[in-house]
Amino acid sequence: MAVICSIMTLGKTSPAKKIGLFSLSQLCWLSYPVTLLVTLLAFYGLMSFEGDSADWQLLTDSYFLGVLGFTLKQSTISSFASVLFAIPIARALNQLNAQRFKNIFLGLCLLCFVTPTLVVVTGLVALLGRSGWLTPYIESLVEDYSWNLYGLNGILLAHLFMNMPFAIRIIHQQLATIPDTSWRLAKQLKLSPWQRFVIIEKPVIQSAGLMLFGFIFVLCFNSFAVVLALGGGPQSTTLEVAVYQALKYDFNISEALTLAWSQLLIAGGLYACFSAMGTPVWQSHEVINQTTRPYPLTSQGSRLRLLALCGMGILLLLPYVALLPSISLFFTADIWRLVMQPLLLSIGLGMTSASISLVMAYTLLQPIRSQLKQKRSMRVKLLEQVATHQLFAPAMVISVGLFVFLLPRVDLDRWGIIVVILLNSAVLVPFAFQKLKPRLIQFDQQYDRLCLSLKLNTWERWKIEWAFIRPSFISAASLVFVLAAGDVAIFAIFGPSDWSTLPWLIYSLAGTYRIPEASAASLLLLLVCAGALWLLQLVANRTAISSVEPSTDAEP
Amino acid sequence: MKRTSLFTLAASALLTSSCFAADLTIYTYDSFNSEWGPGPQLEKSFEAQCQCDIEFIAVDDGVSILNRARIEKASTKADVLLGLDDSLTQVTRDEGLVQAHGVDLSSLTSALAWDDEDFVPFDYGYFSFIYDSSKIAQPADSLKALISSNASVIYQDPRTSTPGQGLMLWVNAVYGDEAASAWAELAKHTVTVTKGWWEAYSMFLEGGADYVLSYNTSPAYHAVVDGESKYKAALFDEGHIAQVEVAAISQYSDNPELAKQFLSFLISPEAQHIIPTTNWMLPVIDNVELPAPFSSLITPKRLNFTPAQVAEQRKAMISTWRSSAQ
Repeated sequence: MAVICSIMTLGKTSPAKKIGLFSLSQLCWLSYPVTLLVTLLAFYGLMSFEGDSADWQLLTDSYFLGVLGFTLKQSTISSFASVLFAIPIARALNQLNAQRFKNIFLGLCLLCFVTPTLVVVTGLVALLGRSGWLTPYIESLVEDYSWNLYGLNGILLAHLFMNMPFAIRIIHQQLATIPDTSWRLAKQLKLSPWQRFVIIEKPVIQSAGLMLFGFIFVLCFNSFAVVLALGGGPQSTTLEVAVYQALKYDFNISEALTLAWSQLLIAGGLYACFSAMGTPVWQSHEVINQTTRPYPLTSQGSRLRLLALCGMGILLLLPYVALLPSISLFFTADIWRLVMQPLLLSIGLGMTSASISLVMAYTLLQPIRSQLKQKRSMRVKLLEQVATHQLFAPAMVISVGLFVFLLPRVDLDRWGIIVVILLNSAVLVPFAFQKLKPRLIQFDQQYDRLCLSLKLNTWERWKIEWAFIRPSFISAASLVFVLAAGDVAIFAIFGPSDWSTLPWLIYSLAGTYRIPEASAASLLLLLVCAGALWLLQLVANRTAISSVEPSTDAEP
Repeated sequence: MKRTSLFTLAASALLTSSCFAADLTIYTYDSFNSEWGPGPQLEKSFEAQCQCDIEFIAVDDGVSILNRARIEKASTKADVLLGLDDSLTQVTRDEGLVQAHGVDLSSLTSALAWDDEDFVPFDYGYFSFIYDSSKIAQPADSLKALISSNASVIYQDPRTSTPGQGLMLWVNAVYGDEAASAWAELAKHTVTVTKGWWEAYSMFLEGGADYVLSYNTSPAYHAVVDGESKYKAALFDEGHIAQVEVAAISQYSDNPELAKQFLSFLISPEAQHIIPTTNWMLPVIDNVELPAPFSSLITPKRLNFTPAQVAEQRKAMISTWRSSAQ
């Protein structure tokens, strides 16, 4: 359908229009009700259940206030710390000359950000859990101190490990946009390092930093698996987990509805605020061609920076390093018996969900492209909101609502896995959408007139478009694959009891403190994700050479 | 990639549709039907008797069995709900999810004093705090002593796990109106509150805490399976809350006769011989031959509450817990 749509919307002058295929382009509009359908069914499921309505009294309950307070507290600290720590590292990275090291470091940062949450959680437990490697050292630092990973400590650490690398990447990217002329001017004016920071770097960091803070804040606000695994009791529950608990534990629909609406309004409101401030930072293009180094570095200073960065890199790697001893388990047959089926299922799930969400995103983009050409910006904004609404609709609310809706209607023991695939695809559409959008719009801006004037037929036109968007398409595919393969929240609700995915296996193993096996499974999942990112990036780079112009799109 | 995804879709559809409906479908909790749990052995033994096909569908825990039956109502596949406990019976009955079993209960041990026309008990135990006697010489001798101490404790969430719910009843029985301050005091030395029993107990075995909430029967497991006698249950003065695990016939069962036959089987000597050493609880009939370590378990005084009390107060108790343990 996607292909047909693209042919139709682009080829308005083609003969296809005459043979009545024009209506097919309108078919793409259908993807809008389809994407809304999932959300609507979910809320219908929640609301129709025994006619329960939201329990607004809960809003004044000390439990609710406590949960809300904790959610805000942990997201504020998490996002603030992530951005604050990222700034000096990104600056050091920007000032560094070793391009190869830089690329590796940035690649690592990307991996940290997209790594399935449970890998990080397992690594942290192996490192800092009750019998973790580092726990005795931490406790020996302060007398009578008993370190407890569970609670705010663990949640903050996990969030920091996942989000700070992302912040480093974005801030570095922003610093790289500073034109060479600014640096040359600073040199001529003999600005002091502090003046250079305030005059040249600060404005750039400030604009990126604010948006970044907002984006990470929303991520942490919606965080589920980290809080579920490391929360450790009602004192550190977030709204997202409280929704899950209200439904899964108490089966209290009215309470869940209140929590869900609060979550939706706050997270959605925040998201709307932040996206009003500008385009989401993670879709911006990377500028690679920076020739002038910001500062004339002495070789000693450069080496020191390199050393500091290496230290930072090792810190980021620690939760992964903690998994390494489990590598010996891979030489035993037992572990393979345990992980084989989950491994295959996770890969299959990732590939299927990635394909569906990419097709869906592409289809959703067609009406937006045609509206853009007609310069209807209000409509474009509205369509974009609908297409990406899953980004701030809590996945837990959607999952459980859909569960309540489907359970009496569908045999979930049999079809649960299909629901897992479809729901995963639906949740990932916004990510695929954001990745594909800039490239497609760029294509329209650059080649639309040319295509029209050359009177290309639809097939020729599609070939050119495909070559142009292929790199973005592939890197979107790798991102969505990794996210789908790492899902826990949806599988927790719909997963059939006799099947397991790798993240779910890790959750059950880590939950029962079988840390060696959990580490081995985490390592495997990490390898699959890193492998997918690397392989698809390779393909993307290779195809980029043969494409219409060199790709500048190397972002997640 | 599209071809692969089509293939995966088709393959998963084929794979999943290959499981046909069994003659008797039983909802239970995960560990009951795990490799080491009683499920597989019971299935084999009962299938040999009835010449039929039974299927266990496992969900997270006892509370989830109830929730699932609540959502599914008449469209449920369950013929038998197995693994609820006595604190959930009233709620289940009130929701109209079960029917009278008609099983002869005269063989049940008098210790249980069981008389319920909807639910059949299949094992029981006393909630207890387990400690490592090689580390703790003088264990707490009462719940109050434990809560006011600074010993590290792991327990389970009362909303998800039946032991957690047991502790909630226990605290309410011992502290009454002062339950809130007891929870707040306990929270100061709680390592973590886990979702289920497995998580808590595994973390305890890894050295995660001084005490873990479990059952008086847990030491028997260590003695029989690993020949380890250092794990002991602390005996509390105030008495302990007992957990009686029960099974019932679903209101919407297609095969109530076979379901009844299964419930009778559950309290037969054959099944009762399997359950204590796989589910690590006490048998509900007398004269079951058990491994020696069972005879050295603590036998606490039983604190009483009625299922009706729980049904009535559960919500308020949970609300107190989650506000005070914050």
